[in-house]
Amino acid sequence: MTDRTKVSTSQLLSTFAMVLVALLLGAVLIIFSGNSPAEAYGAMLRGAFGSKNKISELFVKLIPIMLMAFGVSIAFRAQLWNIGATGQFVMGAIATTIVALHVAGPIPVRMVLSFLAAVVAGALWAGIAGWLRNKFNANEVITTLMLSHIARYFLMYVVTGPSGFLHDPHSDLTQSDAIPEGMHLARLLGPSYRLHSGLFVLVLAIVFMFFFWKTTTGHRIDLIGQGEKVSIYAGVDVRRTVMTTMLISGAFAGLAGWLEIVAIQYRLQSTFTDYGNIATIIALLGALSPAGILASACFFSVLLCGGSSMQRMTNVPYSVVDVMQGLIIILVIAKATLANRIKGFWEKRPKKEAANG
Amino acid sequence: MENYVVEMRHITKVFNGVAAIDNVDFALRKCSIHGLLGENGAGKTTLMNVLFGLYKAEEGEIRINGEKVAITSPVDAMSHGIGMVHQHFMLCRPLSVVENVMLGKKSRRGILLDTEETAKELKALSDKYHMGVDPYSRIWQLSIGEQQRVEILTQLYMGCDILILDEPTAVLTPQETAEFFVTLRKMKEDGKSIILITHKLEEIISIVDEVTVLRDGSLIGSRLVDAGLSKADLSNMMVGRQVLFDFPAPEKAPGKVKFSISHLVAKNDKGVEAIHDVSLEIREGEVLGLAGVDGNGQKELCEVLTGLRPLVSGSFSLKGEDISGKAPSFYIGKKISHIPEDRLTTGLAVNWSLEKNLIFKRLADPSLKKHGLISRQLVRKNWEKARNDYQIKSINGEELSRSLSGGNQQKVILARELGGNPEVLIANQPTRGLDVGASEYVRQRILDARNNGASVLLVSADLEEILQISDRVAVIYDGRIMGVLPRGANPMDIGVLMMGGKLDKEETK
Repeated sequence: MTDRTKVSTSQLLSTFAMVLVALLLGAVLIIFSGNSPAEAYGAMLRGAFGSKNKISELFVKLIPIMLMAFGVSIAFRAQLWNIGATGQFVMGAIATTIVALHVAGPIPVRMVLSFLAAVVAGALWAGIAGWLRNKFNANEVITTLMLSHIARYFLMYVVTGPSGFLHDPHSDLTQSDAIPEGMHLARLLGPSYRLHSGLFVLVLAIVFMFFFWKTTTGHRIDLIGQGEKVSIYAGVDVRRTVMTTMLISGAFAGLAGWLEIVAIQYRLQSTFTDYGNIATIIALLGALSPAGILASACFFSVLLCGGSSMQRMTNVPYSVVDVMQGLIIILVIAKATLANRIKGFWEKRPKKEAANG
Repeated sequence: MENYVVEMRHITKVFNGVAAIDNVDFALRKCSIHGLLGENGAGKTTLMNVLFGLYKAEEGEIRINGEKVAITSPVDAMSHGIGMVHQHFMLCRPLSVVENVMLGKKSRRGILLDTEETAKELKALSDKYHMGVDPYSRIWQLSIGEQQRVEILTQLYMGCDILILDEPTAVLTPQETAEFFVTLRKMKEDGKSIILITHKLEEIISIVDEVTVLRDGSLIGSRLVDAGLSKADLSNMMVGRQVLFDFPAPEKAPGKVKFSISHLVAKNDKGVEAIHDVSLEIREGEVLGLAGVDGNGQKELCEVLTGLRPLVSGSFSLKGEDISGKAPSFYIGKKISHIPEDRLTTGLAVNWSLEKNLIFKRLADPSLKKHGLISRQLVRKNWEKARNDYQIKSINGEELSRSLSGGNQQKVILARELGGNPEVLIANQPTRGLDVGASEYVRQRILDARNNGASVLLVSADLEEILQISDRVAVIYDGRIMGVLPRGANPMDIGVLMMGGKLDKEETK
């Protein structure tokens, strides 16, 4: 057991180290722009934690980015680079709205149906990429990205009047009619705070993720990420596992899409906050482990919420936040090399038994 | 002192803080063949790469013909008359022999090629050393043995007096090896000095004048080879202990036929038929050796038998039940174990922990689960048992399998494949790349499996290994079984079959 704690602690440490380096480099940037880093980061922290409302907003951000990061992390473990979480999110949102506005029936039934529709829509949208890969060996980086674009334009089409079938006839805006009020998820801190009961969905997702990698399916997904040859040799049906992986991965994004409609926007709009890229960065920064993703999603939610108030309170532009995201990507990529260098530095003393091979 | 062409003194080469060779001395006499012996990872190739300028040593000096030199690149080495033939040939396959030679030199006719002149010179050189190389044949048309001669010829043509040969006989049949030794002796008489890197003890005894033994990057000793030197002495120096060369015959005779293959046909990765009409039978408690030069359909056969490759026609059966054309998981369930040829891409998930590598064929096995989840404790228990049974050297079960040495990696595969008492064991090159000690261990384990009643198909390009532990020997050539010989068959007969020949006397059945 101690070995296991060692592994995950070193993983968490490396995640924290990367965040720290990104913050330090960000500080240098802030100094160059003629501001004080202490002041800027102070403003960022106040912006994230300064009031009850701000903390509520922190969770509002945290829920979708963590859900989507979990989703892409499952695909990434299998070396399936699903970078189209945005598209799966959008399809989930569209499916939710269709059920909410166009399916007759009592509200609780519609609620359950919309949930299922969103999850299935997200799963199938990712599943298309899985099918294309199995059938034509099409690279999922390309297909998921392209499917994302298709989903975005499909969204534009359905909410643009007068042809779009979800367009709100009482408005000139590119949006759908509002969903019935009975379908709104309950707000946890009273009506003036946006923190919603989707938080429990997130908690369930976290519990699921911690157990998922201990299941047979989880191990199979992990194994196909180790290589096709060894997976086939181990008796794993690779095509079927690719499909399963993509379906589960997309389902998480679809779930985030459902929450966006029933808990935040209450209607479908042509513009939406794109969490796809953030989710990818969070998954990689968290080294694809549930604990790592939990930590890095929290960090990013502070960064995103605090960043905009930093821009308002100081002269530091929001693009510093963008730069820090970029830095983190670079650090994640450089991690393996850096880790080896540091290890080599500590182990300079010659050792005999390692000379084999 | 004067008759040494190469002297290397106190050479130390460090990789990532680890000394791959540590304070090693090496001296090559003029006009001699010097064997460089050691297990895998002992530092033989590293030492020679230092001499050839591919690596720069941290410490030590090199003298060529008594003169201190600094060799920083292969070009430097060649200018001192040193040539090296690597284990993997560096030839351009679509080109002819003479074109390959001309790639590395300037034409004497300015912008025009001096093909004819070069070809004539090559032919003369080839005749001189009885190599029989036609300068105009294309590389892809040549056998492995011929390609090797082309490599050596190229080095000679470039004017090398000192030739480093890295495990040259690993790819040759016994007949080709004999021819190759004739060439080596001729070159020696002609004033060339040769370094032969090898881990085959026979070669040292039969052709080498002087031998240097390395172990774990350190010099164990150098000595002249004379009649008093035995294989046991050499293996003692190499491994540091006695090694078993003769395995006992089975106590009980093989039982009835358990695994039978009939008229099997399959294609290779390029879609060309690689196995034609192969039929074999393996009895209960029997090792059937499959001898053959690499690339004659062995890999495809093993893959078909374990479901990794589709078959075109034919069938195979276990205890009378037709089991052909199923998915890999089916064969795993039928206890047909497979030691694949390629440890690193097929046999192991190199970035997985050792304990998980042990169980990846039975991820759905309820005996590894608690409350429906794969239990760490049970996986760990399984690992502890395997580690003790198979003497796997590692820090713990969490260690990634890629960090182990080849021998220990193979032990992990053995532990997994032999752990559940297999009905059939398909072992493809089970000791490739392993040193003498580890190979002995693997062979012993395969025999243990046989004694437990498994039918074993042992595929190996190492004829010595086949002869040591097989109860019968089948020979494959170009995807066809050329014959099946009994235990104790003459290696020369097997060699004939390995090259597609036929035996005069009707020993085959």
